[in-house]
Amino acid sequence: MNEIIVSLENVCKIFDGAARVTALDGVGLEVPRGQRVSVMGPSGSGKSTLLNIVCGLDVPTSGRVLINGSDLAAMSDDDRTRLRREQIGMIFQTFNLMPTLNGVENVALPLRLCGMSGNEAADRAAAMLERVGLSGRGSHRPDEMSGGERQRVAIARALIFDPPLLLADEPTGNLDSATGDEILKLLEDVHNEFGTSMILVTHNENAAAICERRIDLLDGRIVSDTLRSPK
Amino acid sequence: MISALAMIVLRDWGCHKLRLGLTTAGIALGVAAFFAIQTTNEALVGSLNGTIEKLAGKATLQAAAGNAGFSFDAIKAVRSTPGVKIAEPVTETLAATTLGETRLLILGLDTASDLQLYNTAAERPELVIKNPLVFSSRKDSVAITTKLADRFGIKDGDRITVETSSGPAVLTIRGLFTASGIGDVYDGNVAVMDIYSAQATFGRGNRIDRIDISTADGADVDAVQAELVARLGPGIDVVRPDLRGKSLENSVTTMHAGFTILSIVALMIGVFIIFNSFTISVNQRWKDIAILRSIGVERRGIKLMFLSEAVILGAIGSCLGIAAGLAISMAAMGLVTRITATVYGIASATPELRFEPGYAAAAFAIGIVSSVIAAWVPARAAASLDPAAALRNIETRRSEPRMNRLRLAAGAALVAAGLLGVKFTPPGIDSYVQSTYSFMIQFGMIMLLPAIITVGGLVLRPVMDRLFGAEGVIAVETMARSPRRTAATVGAIMIGLTFAISNASLIQSLKMAIDHSLDKALAADIVITSSEQLSSRSNHFSEAVAASIASMDEVEAADQIRITTTRMNDREVALLAHDMSEFFRISPDLLDSGDPARARELTSRGEGVIISNNLAFRSNLKLGDSLTIRSPKGDVELPIVGMLDYYRSEHGTIFLERALYRQYWDDPDVDYIFIDLKPGVDRQAFKAKAAAAIAGTRRAFIYTHEEYKQFAGGVIDRFFLLMYMQTIIAIAVAAIGLVNTMLISVAERKRELGIFRAIGGLRRQVVKMVLLEAAAISMVGFAAGALTSLLNTYFLINTAAKVVAGFRLPFHFSFWLLGLAIPAVIVMAMISAWLPARNAARLEVADAIGYE
Repeated sequence: MNEIIVSLENVCKIFDGAARVTALDGVGLEVPRGQRVSVMGPSGSGKSTLLNIVCGLDVPTSGRVLINGSDLAAMSDDDRTRLRREQIGMIFQTFNLMPTLNGVENVALPLRLCGMSGNEAADRAAAMLERVGLSGRGSHRPDEMSGGERQRVAIARALIFDPPLLLADEPTGNLDSATGDEILKLLEDVHNEFGTSMILVTHNENAAAICERRIDLLDGRIVSDTLRSPK
Repeated sequence: MISALAMIVLRDWGCHKLRLGLTTAGIALGVAAFFAIQTTNEALVGSLNGTIEKLAGKATLQAAAGNAGFSFDAIKAVRSTPGVKIAEPVTETLAATTLGETRLLILGLDTASDLQLYNTAAERPELVIKNPLVFSSRKDSVAITTKLADRFGIKDGDRITVETSSGPAVLTIRGLFTASGIGDVYDGNVAVMDIYSAQATFGRGNRIDRIDISTADGADVDAVQAELVARLGPGIDVVRPDLRGKSLENSVTTMHAGFTILSIVALMIGVFIIFNSFTISVNQRWKDIAILRSIGVERRGIKLMFLSEAVILGAIGSCLGIAAGLAISMAAMGLVTRITATVYGIASATPELRFEPGYAAAAFAIGIVSSVIAAWVPARAAASLDPAAALRNIETRRSEPRMNRLRLAAGAALVAAGLLGVKFTPPGIDSYVQSTYSFMIQFGMIMLLPAIITVGGLVLRPVMDRLFGAEGVIAVETMARSPRRTAATVGAIMIGLTFAISNASLIQSLKMAIDHSLDKALAADIVITSSEQLSSRSNHFSEAVAASIASMDEVEAADQIRITTTRMNDREVALLAHDMSEFFRISPDLLDSGDPARARELTSRGEGVIISNNLAFRSNLKLGDSLTIRSPKGDVELPIVGMLDYYRSEHGTIFLERALYRQYWDDPDVDYIFIDLKPGVDRQAFKAKAAAAIAGTRRAFIYTHEEYKQFAGGVIDRFFLLMYMQTIIAIAVAAIGLVNTMLISVAERKRELGIFRAIGGLRRQVVKMVLLEAAAISMVGFAAGALTSLLNTYFLINTAAKVVAGFRLPFHFSFWLLGLAIPAVIVMAMISAWLPARNAARLEVADAIGYE
């Protein structure tokens, strides 16, 4: 039986500003454990909103979101934060590393926030950096790294808790094609090694091709949901 | 374009009211401190000068001889001098009365004359004695102002009681005069007696305080002055009344200079705040700036936008500061008047506060110029922002350079130059030149701040890591990675702390020195004084009263002292006439240099003098030198046979034998009595007995040795009260700076805090991180402040005390206040950071990390 890691039931998200914007309109989605899903669509189709809602950064206007069986709506802000920290790894287009911390410290940060000692967290972070092919750059700060290196640090940080779910928002969007390919390869390796589920928001067909499932969004609705063999 | 940019600025103000308020408050506080000090001083000096000018009437010259006065006989020499039209002898007595707390200035005048010197208009004279013959024939006659009469419901024929050196005296009102001109001083608390009656009533003998002189029409005033100087001899000064006011003004110059420097420091802290505020503004608007640049606004336009904003904020802050300064002046005026009366013996009514447009304009200009200077660097940073780079991701922005070697070298050189200046400057160098040493030290330290912050970060990082985990590390790194932003607040804390701790250290050093000096030179069991002030022109013991106390059974030794002043090198030097033999008997260790036995022998025979070390320093005198003291009967020339640290006068003190003083000054009065009691006599019991013996004759203030030391400490505290008030302002300004910095930090790191939350940082961990950053900044500020305080204390004790007063003070650093400052600064930081921390915790994560 396929265990469901992400379940969205009729999720709507409406932004009430000067103009009322429906970002998600009755989205239903189930992602089995270990599955990789690419989410594609034009700008404004609701991709980022979907990702925000899945990771608990945002709450739906209506509908239900279950992560690993837990209803996000029933959780406090702190509980959602802990879930995000320990159950969900997040990778951003803009890397979003802490500029004041070096590579090892960035990767170790989620562990330290849980109360792990500095040395133990640093050891685990260094090991994870080695795993993502960045063993020699851990003492450097983000502004001393290339884009690809930064994204590797971000991936190592996302994986530090060995989360069952990885959310990636345009992970190759700020990288040249060669570096982008390296990152995609890394993500494939991660999936193969850890069996991590992934939701990958992208405009990039190459990136989408590493996923066995593709969802297309338009005006906040899923307009296609296809399964295929990953490349 | 200007109007479009103005609109952007105004919209920004609407969105950031707190920052706007803090910035304006920073400017306003700095300007308020400056304006208050200048206004208070102007009113005080104006009041002193006004009093002297009104008392002088139409006199073009005045002859005077310090506090002791001079012989009435001098009037003959004055009146016979060619070019002198009128010469009026005057005595001045400030006496306590039975009219509540009112002290009355009683002028002794020759009421037999027409007093035209004191009437401004001949047809409507203000000062008229209706029946001068009756008035002068009855010794208890006194005329008072109509203002005083109205205030207390006194009418002709009523009686009032006044304190004299031989006890209370009852005077009868036999005349009223209008409270204008001479009657306008001291808020109308002025009375006139016939000069002979005044001399008799107040035990002045044949002495007068001054002669008011009107020169003949067409006479050369300078020539008349020169002739009078020649005829009266060196002990009597002949000066124009306005210059006499200048001399009193000089007496309070030290106090004014000290307070002006303090107000400049407050303004400097204000500059830090403005700098901080504009840095926030630039950081908050970097996207706006990028957009403006990309749509064609030139760099110049961006710079102009920020500088115009600085001018407007400076103008608003200055206006508020001037209003606040006026309010502070009103509150401080009474205090300053009491200080001048207690410390300098210069009595005046509480001056009327006036709005001085000149100072207001200066304060306004200073506020605006400070704002523009402070906004200059942020404005330049905004103008040089690369539009493309401005829109790049946060982690691609490089950290600020911290170790600019040129800046470090310049800072270190400035500090070193300041310290070397303190150490090696010879006497005689201009005091304003020497005061720059402190500024060199402090500016040098400001230039070194980025390095101090970096080192502070390195030291604090492992400590904060161990104590507070990742939040502690990020807090320290955030502080250390933005040295320019952090430096402004660290600088504000540093200056505030330096201000507080080095001044406290100076005060403590002065208190210790005075304590030590009183133990050595005032080792008496009991001190009896005729006035609650350090120096009084009018309240003295008569010789008989002093002798009766000295001859009490319990008394082992009694030293009767007259305290007055003499002019030396255009300065009023304190002249203390002691019974020198008794002085040495009571305080055998009083000398710092000189042979005590020989000094006692020579001084008690009137063949030598002792001087204070500050007089020796100021006048370049040494043991064995001959000292010339001007007296009403001519110069007294005596060798210096001893020297000691003594802190009564910033201009110096001379000790000489009282018998010699009486001989030359014709002045038998006594101001202090130092008493050593026989073994076994209870001090408190003797105090009560002495008080009972004096009661009914006159007021006396009786202290044990310890109580007198406490009294002296209280006088110092009163003197420095304004400094304490300014310290509070400085600390308040530093706190505003800290709030500002934390607001910047949160505003700058909105995205970073969003990332922190996105990867699992809890809200309370965000709060903890921001509070820890404030704590880290405050600790580095504390360290920089402690170091700068130490250096500035070195300056204050070695240069300021010596330059201002020639005082040699022991180096005492107020470690207790420094220790107290640690929790105070951290708590202040926590309170200041609370609001920014709460704002940070409430950030919408998705919004903060840049999702559209």
